[in-house]
Order: sequence, then structure tokens, then C-alpha cells
Amino acid sequence: MKIRGFIKSCTLLLLIVFAGTTLAGCSPSTKTENAPAAQTQSSGKLVVYSAGPKKLAEKIQKGFEAKTGVKVEMFQGTTGKILSRMEAEKTNPVVDVVVLASLPAAQGLKNSGQTLEYKTAKNADKLISDWSDKDGNFFAYSASALGIVYNTKLVTKPPKDWSDLTNPEWQGKVTIPDPAQSGSALDFITGYLSNKGESGWQLFEQFKQNDVTLAGANQEALDPVITGAKSVVVAGVDYMTYQAKAKGEPIDMLYPSSGTVISPRPAAIMKTSKNVDNAKAFIDYLLSDEVQKMVADTYLLPGRNDIKAKDRASADQIPLLKVDWAWMNTNGNAAIKKFTQIFE
Amino acid sequence: MQQMIVMDYKKLGMFLALLLLIILIAIPLFCIFFTSIYPNQTLNLLAPLRTLSESNLSEVFWHTIWLGFCVMLTTTVLAVPLAWIFAKTDLCRHNGLDIVLMIPFMTPPYIGSMGWILFMQRNGYLEQLVPAAKIVTTFFFSFGGMVAIMSLHLYPFLYLILRNIFVQISGNKEAAAIVHGGSFLYNFRRIVIPLALSGYAMGALLVFVKTIAEFGTPATFGRKIGYFVMTSEIHQYISHWPIDFGKATALASVLLSACLILWYIQSLICQRFSYPLIGGRDSFRRISVLKNGQRLFAWLYIGGLLGVSIGIPYFSILSASLMKLRGVGLAWNNITFQYYIALLTWGSNSMNALMNSLGLSIVAATISVILGTYCALLIGNSKTRLQRIIDLLSLLPNAVPGIVLVVGFILFWNSPSMPIPLYNTYGMVVLTYAVLFLPYTVQYVKTNYSQLNLSLFQAGQVCGGTPVYILRRILLPLLVPGILAGWMMTFTISIRELVASLLILPPDMETSATFIFSQFEQGNVALGMAMAVVSVGLTTILLLAVNQFHPARKQNG
Repeated sequence: MKIRGFIKSCTLLLLIVFAGTTLAGCSPSTKTENAPAAQTQSSGKLVVYSAGPKKLAEKIQKGFEAKTGVKVEMFQGTTGKILSRMEAEKTNPVVDVVVLASLPAAQGLKNSGQTLEYKTAKNADKLISDWSDKDGNFFAYSASALGIVYNTKLVTKPPKDWSDLTNPEWQGKVTIPDPAQSGSALDFITGYLSNKGESGWQLFEQFKQNDVTLAGANQEALDPVITGAKSVVVAGVDYMTYQAKAKGEPIDMLYPSSGTVISPRPAAIMKTSKNVDNAKAFIDYLLSDEVQKMVADTYLLPGRNDIKAKDRASADQIPLLKVDWAWMNTNGNAAIKKFTQIFE
Repeated sequence: MQQMIVMDYKKLGMFLALLLLIILIAIPLFCIFFTSIYPNQTLNLLAPLRTLSESNLSEVFWHTIWLGFCVMLTTTVLAVPLAWIFAKTDLCRHNGLDIVLMIPFMTPPYIGSMGWILFMQRNGYLEQLVPAAKIVTTFFFSFGGMVAIMSLHLYPFLYLILRNIFVQISGNKEAAAIVHGGSFLYNFRRIVIPLALSGYAMGALLVFVKTIAEFGTPATFGRKIGYFVMTSEIHQYISHWPIDFGKATALASVLLSACLILWYIQSLICQRFSYPLIGGRDSFRRISVLKNGQRLFAWLYIGGLLGVSIGIPYFSILSASLMKLRGVGLAWNNITFQYYIALLTWGSNSMNALMNSLGLSIVAATISVILGTYCALLIGNSKTRLQRIIDLLSLLPNAVPGIVLVVGFILFWNSPSMPIPLYNTYGMVVLTYAVLFLPYTVQYVKTNYSQLNLSLFQAGQVCGGTPVYILRRILLPLLVPGILAGWMMTFTISIRELVASLLILPPDMETSATFIFSQFEQGNVALGMAMAVVSVGLTTILLLAVNQFHPARKQNG
């Protein structure tokens, strides 16, 4: 009996709160209802999901906004996070352009028919043709290469090739990025396997035997090497290393003589885009001189063959493994699975 | 006649709460379940089961349960003496330390783990300070180390619950025991333990669930030592290419079932061992005055615990945030404040992120507390079936790993048929936080409420108080500690919330946690650590300010 009294009062309270929250809830919702209406008129919006590096993505965003007056709403994350967000939003997509850090992921989007063709992209003819889609489904505006990264305070005689790291002197001193989290590490592993065939697994099994630690994404693999907890990253990303080195960290890298993999970073327009014109303009902007210079300044490899890499080895100076991207795309999942099994 | 109207209000209230909880929690979870049985556009009820049998689930499952159990045990061992000291001895007047004691819990778990890793790893801060420590540090990277990190993160949470319980055990009962010649241990065993058991069961269950639903520590530390748990597997399926919602949701349902079974056990304990503790008569708190030796021991315990749970991780966090070059390590000439200056520049991304976090957390905590208090009052002693359903629903967000519920939210709020365009707005984030942390208020207020003696309200009625008057003058004041604890907890966790924010924030919006995370991803560890220091510092200051209004403070002197 007594409790009922409180419940009654509380119910009244809740009703008031309800009224309050609905009112509060209405105000942003009316805003968003109005917003798309206004945008279809002026078409001044673009939603981009972009993989890092963050500073570069922000610069591109600001530059594009200044140039076109289009408001860019940007979500930043790793390739995996972007793809998962898109999957969650599948029934009601909001993204116009995705910028990823893994070529097979973009191939996957293309093969499942999610990307929009844009054959007439400006400067597309100057793109390094191996990295981008011939039909204009995705454009690799930049790329990074993988190598052996080492702490210069701890390592005086750096290893020369991948297989050197299976020697006892490196036991327990090496990290490798997790291919499940790092698109570029996956590109390296599948690339290496597509080149060597089944026998390629031997290298990774020997790594495991030599206590190579599986770290998270690229930065998580690099960080212990910077602080000296580990000595070497195998399949480390080059531009991150160059950035840290430029800051003054005791770190350096080399590309193994037997060859490595370059991991292109593609951008694509989604078929579900509601702002196709803006999306096309954004792709054009990614391929423009302006952005390509920003790319070079970040120590990434520019996607266009007529733009020079800055303070680093250019694409043609890096010894490469001959890789099969189609094979890498179809066998990526299986490779992750087997790799994880070896390292668990 | 009036009886009728009152009945209707109760029914209406139940109905409203149920409706709200179904919309906010049940439907999103159902969306997940639906996705898991509807792979590739065809209905397949067995899909989740097949997934479970395919993956090597049992090992990961037992890993998870074992971890939860060990952490629950360790937090209890850490929290009980602390709660006792601050509830039952004359050291209770130092309860301003409460906020300090909350710092480990305010620290984002992945930051805390990171601090421990930086401290203990090869060439880490400990080895830089004491090179001989090399022998010890290698042992730290083990299951024991993981339990230690997680317990040192979670014990304040259990402490807060236990202290509230101890405070409410009336001194009369202990006095009676002492008069009859009961020793301290007898007293503890026969009075305190039975009276505290239901509250402890709730707290311990929450610690268990928090542990097995935790993602930050398994993702940073667990991965390093190769200890994989269910959340890390779910996260793997949900955020790394290739995405597999089917597998993730199947795993989540197992985790969910485990939690529901525990919840059931806990509710049995509660029903059996629930006693009204706050009576109308002159209950008093029996405060024992410590002897000098005991006092020293108590302070040593408090100091030691704070040193390990705050000192070590924050030494690492602060050092890392002040370091010019990480490769150089601890050295006086390697100190810089540039990251703090960059961080606190007005209008910078980092400052916006910080303000976003503050605003979001305050709004979300307030909404969550109002809703949670209401639910807790409706639930009462969970006598009727309807009450139990409300109880279950309001606790579900704590039993499901945040990331799973958030995916449910996205599926639900972003579905094309949803008339309210909440997705990708500020409101969506507030809603997510409020729902995710609803169980805290429910738990705190429920514990608090279940210990109030009915005679208080009867007295109010006899004296002619209207229900509103009784609510205002008796119930709410007595519930304030629970409500305030719920608010503070929600605020504290919201401000460091990471996993949901990563998935649900509208493009172009950052919180302090996502900012830190992206700095780590970008290799800017120092800036990320500086943000951790600033946001935890801000939270502490804010909580101290709120604490000034705590009515219990005045009583405690």
C-alpha cells in the first residue's frame, strides 16, 4: 500500500521526464530532418570513412572543404573498423566514400558490387596501374611498403632478410603486427605466400619457434621497438617508421633484399552514395597534385607515378616480391585463420 | 476508489518502464539474435549453434569464466578490509579519500594496462629505475599479472558497494552481539556476513560480469601473454576484416547465457538473505576507535593499495605523457610539456573531444540515474513476475559486452523503418551511454532501497503524509546515497567509454577516449597519455565538487 504511493509519484515523475526527453529528443531530430532536405538542394555534404594516418586525413578533409565548400563528415578508424561500421549500417548506408588501407578489402567491396565506377576520374591515367582498378572502382591514392624495422640503440648489425630473424640471436626480440588487425601485415603475409606457395608457411612457423610476438595493429607492433622492449618489427610499415625517425626516435628500417610487398591504400565511391557528385569531386581531389604532395609529406608513397616520394625510397627502389593480388583477395581469410592458429 | 487509482498508476508505471526497456534494450538485442540466425538472407535457427561447435569455443569460454572468478576473488580480498576501515573505524572521517580511491576505476582499462606494460616490460620504467628488477618483471607477464591488473582496476567498484552495506548495518546488532560476549570474528561471521551477503552477491556478480565483459585489458595485456577471452574473440569478429556478425553474435549469446545463470543464482541469494537494515528507531553507527598499531596497519594497507593501484600505472602514464622521445626513456632532459600545451589549446580537436566527453557524460548520467532509480523502485524485492522481467531487462546491458549491445543499437536505430532519425546524432550517443550504464543506478538504488524498513513509510502515512510528501521527505533523502553513487559511477564510466564510442559517434565527433585511442593508433602515445591524465584529472575534480553536496558527508563529519 505504502509503496504504491511512491510508485504513483514516480510514475508522474517519469511522465514528466518522458515529456522532457521527447521534447529534448525532438530538437536534434528535427534538425537532422531539416538538414538532409537542405542538403539535397545545395548538395553540400559528403560522408567519408577514412583510414589513417589521421593528420593526413584531416588535412585532406580541410583542403577539400576549402576548395569545394562541401561539408565533409569524416569517420576515422582502421580498415577493419570502417568495414565493420559499414556492415552494421548495411540496411541504411550513410557513407559516400571509403578510404581504406588494404587493397584486397577494396577488391572485396568491388566483387560484391558495392562500389560505383568512376572511369573519368581526373589524373586516374597517372596512377600506378598495378595498384588501382582498371574499371575505376577504386583508386590507390597512396601506398606503404613493409620492411624490417629496428631500434638503433639495441641493434648494431640489423638483419638483412626475413629469414635472418629465425636465427637464435633474435629469439624473443621480434614483434609482428597481427594480420587480423593490420591490413598491410595481411598484405605482406598473403603476398609472401602467393609468391612462395605452401612452403611459405615455413617462415612463419620458424618465426613462432623463435618467439616472435604477435602484436596488435602496426603502431602496437612498432611501439615496443621504440621503447626498447623489443628490438625488431618484422613486416613493419615504412611511413610510420620514417615519421618516428624524423621526430628523433632511435629507429630505422630496411627493405629485405629478397623482396617485400607494397600495400596500396585505395579509395572508392559506394554505390549507395547519396552525394555522388561530391564523391567524384573528392576522388578527383585525392588524385590532385595538392593531395599527392600531402601524401608524400607524410612519408607515404604517392599513388601517381609522376609524383616523387619524399625523403624515402620510392616505389621503384624497393625490392619487390612478385605477388598475385587476386589470390591474396580470395585467400586472405584462410591465411588469417592459419596464421592465428600458428601464433596462438 | 483511491486504491483503484493508485493501482492504475502502478500498472501504468510498470507498463511504461517495461515498454521503455523493451525498446531500449530488448529489441536491439533481438536484432542481434535475428542477424545471427538469418545469415545470407535465409533463416537458419541452427546457425549460432553450428558456429559454436566450429570454433574452439570451450577453451576460450573457460578462460573467460576462470578469469572472472579469479578477479572476483581478488577484488573481494582487496575491497573488504578497505570497506571495513572506511565504514566501521574512526578513519571513516577521511572519506574524502573515496574519490581518490575511485581513480583506478576512472582510468580507462586499456590505459591502465598500458601503464603496467610500460612499467614492467623489458627496458621498461622499472628496469630503468632498478636494473636488478629484471628477475621479477618477466614473471609479471602471465595470467597472474592479468588478474592483478584487472582486480586493481575493479576493486574500487566493489569497495563502494561494500562500504555502503557496512555503513547501513546498524550498530545495535553488533552491540547486541558484543553484549552477549561475541568476539570480533563471531560478530563478523554471524552478523555482518549474513546481513551483507545479498549486497555483496550483487557487487561480486557485477565485478564478475564486468571482468568477463571487459575488453581493454584482454586486448592489450591478454594479447601479449596469449590469454584469449570471449570479448576479444567477439571484438575480433566484429571489428576486424573479415567481419562476421554471425559468429560474434553466437559467441555473445553464450556469454549472455552465462551471465543470466549467474544473475539467477544471485537473485536467489538476495531473496534468501535480504533484510531491512535502516529502521525507524535510533539506529547508530558503531565506530571503533583504532589503537595506534592498528591505525598504522590500516594506513599501511590503504597506502600500499593506493600505491600499487594508482602509483604504478600513473607513474607510467605521467612519464609517458611528459616524454620528448620515447626511445630515450626516463631522463630529466627528456621532459617536455608540449603535449599538454597542444592538448589544452582552446578550439583544438583535443579540447573539443574533452568538452564533448564532459557534456555527454553529464547528460547521459543524469538521464540514466532518473530512469534507473525509477526502475529500481518498481523492481522492489522482485516479487512479481513483471518486476523480475524489469529487473532482468535493466541489468542486461551489464551482462552483455558493450560492443554487442552497441551493434544491436546500430542495427535497430539505423534500420530503414526507424521513424526517429537518431542515428549519427548526439542523441544517439547519449542514449547509448545511458542504456549501457543503466544497471549501475539500478543496482545501487535497489541495494539501498531493499534495506529501508517499511516502518518508515508507515510512520509517514500515519502522520498524514501524502505519497508525494513521503517520497520527497523520506524515500528520496534515504535513497540519495544510492542515487548519487549511481550518478557518479555512470559519469565516471561514460567519460572513459571507448568501444561504444568508436562505433556510434557521428562522423566528425570525438570523445576523450576515442581521441586517446586514435593517438595510440597514430603512434602519438605521449599525446594520448596526456589526454588520459587531463580527463581523469577533470573527472576527479568534478566528482570532488559533487561530493561536497553529499548529505552523508555532513553526518559523517
